[in-house]
Amino acid sequence: MSQPELFVLVAAVVFSIGVYGLLSRPQLVRRILALNLMGNGVFLLLVAFARRNPDTIDPVPQAMVLTGIVIAVSATGFALAIVRLLYRETGEAGLGENRAP
Amino acid sequence: MAELLGWVFDALLALALLLLAARVVFSPRLFESIVLFIVFGLLMAIAWARLAAPHLALAEAAIGAGITGALLLSTFRELVIGRTPSPEAPRVLVYRWHGLMALLAGGLFAVLGWALLSIDVPTGPVAGEQAMALLARTAVDDAVTAVLLDFRAYDTLLEMGVLLLAVLGARAALGSQGPASSDDLWTDGEGDTPMVGALVGMLSPLIIIMAGYLLWAGAYGPGGAFQAGAVLAALGVLLRLTGRIVPAPRAGVVQRGVLVIGMGVFTLAGLLTLATGRAFLQYPESLAYPMILLIEVALTLSIALPLVLLFSGSAGIAAGRSQHSP
Amino acid sequence: MSFLTGAAALLWVLGGFFFLSGTVGLLRFPDTLSRLHAVTKADNLGLGLILLGVAVHGASVVLAAKLLLIWMLALLAASFSAHLVARSHLRDEASRDG
Repeated sequence: MSQPELFVLVAAVVFSIGVYGLLSRPQLVRRILALNLMGNGVFLLLVAFARRNPDTIDPVPQAMVLTGIVIAVSATGFALAIVRLLYRETGEAGLGENRAP
Repeated sequence: MAELLGWVFDALLALALLLLAARVVFSPRLFESIVLFIVFGLLMAIAWARLAAPHLALAEAAIGAGITGALLLSTFRELVIGRTPSPEAPRVLVYRWHGLMALLAGGLFAVLGWALLSIDVPTGPVAGEQAMALLARTAVDDAVTAVLLDFRAYDTLLEMGVLLLAVLGARAALGSQGPASSDDLWTDGEGDTPMVGALVGMLSPLIIIMAGYLLWAGAYGPGGAFQAGAVLAALGVLLRLTGRIVPAPRAGVVQRGVLVIGMGVFTLAGLLTLATGRAFLQYPESLAYPMILLIEVALTLSIALPLVLLFSGSAGIAAGRSQHSP
Repeated sequence: MSFLTGAAALLWVLGGFFFLSGTVGLLRFPDTLSRLHAVTKADNLGLGLILLGVAVHGASVVLAAKLLLIWMLALLAASFSAHLVARSHLRDEASRDG
């Protein structure tokens, strides 16, 4: 297995782990972590895919992922601010019946 | 031999990434999940370096692991503050149907993996070739910077909009109430250790030089506005943690200006190019380098301050005390 | 293999050994303070040896100066964070006892 194929598979596994975490954990910070894992999976996929062609280093996916990393951190910051607000208003940071700190 | 060693290294790296991702989701303690996510980010930085993407390695180490980790840890601190630890063993709360969800996620992986690996490798350079051809005509030598600020400058402009929106959203959520606690995060209200002052004194100028270097280096190598902005934001986080800057209920005129200067300069440059009969953000060749540099300086500031404000969880920041008696 | 490459490889292996022993200490030592001791001392020495190996391999003064700066910053960060962890540990112990 070549290096790009290896990381394409890693990307798929990390994305799937993130999907599972997002669906199965009611605690909101854990969901944000899972979303970030999914995002990292997508980033890894984009760059590893571009690397499958050994002739060139394609700068376009790299620039897109760089943009994506900054967007991911701003979305994470916004989401965490909403979690803080929820916690201040209700004393909880989870969803549904399984509420937990 | 070297090829084999490289493959072994990649395989170990891949294994570590997978184990960490799994631990982030499955760890019973939230704190452990957060710390392991930071470690995951650092290993991602190594993976970027292995995939010949040094820009991403820098950005991931500074933003993905550093700033995101700081945001997560400060939120965690607020969630556990004043909460007595429960005596019973920690447990991960999961929804009732999580077994089915795991099955679905596994199926998703199988389909994804199969589909991705069955896509044919393109035989020649495709988008990369266009970018490279364009690079020959742009003012900067570094391909990624050229894509970000020239070839696809639109993306970067809109990205600044997203960052600004995130800060405004966080401010709408938290700003009216102000920060929950304005005490120093590192000192527990008992005063600095002497080392805090020494560290801040030594690191602050170095971090500023580093940010300036990264900004400048972006023209010809790995670096640029994003990495420089993230490093500056790290300085802000350090100063906030040590009480050198404190949350403020309002952002002053200067801070508001810094928040929008990136968008402002970028848009202005686009309008100027439109006014001179060119396409939006198609710089005139003689002015391309200074314009890109000016935009990058503005972007650096407008990336750093929002990240600091998101960390501080307040509408603005103000200078705190510089000395603290123990 | 030239002499420089051989010397660099030897330094890398040595550095790797110190990293390994620091990690074993982190995992096996019984309490916070001795774990800190293992991590800060062994890992920083290991990092220094590996960077020295890179400097020897690169055989350039500018590169060596940059690597020295990196090592100094890593030492600074390590000693500072070790100090904070130890301080917080002592404070926890004090509040538990009294």
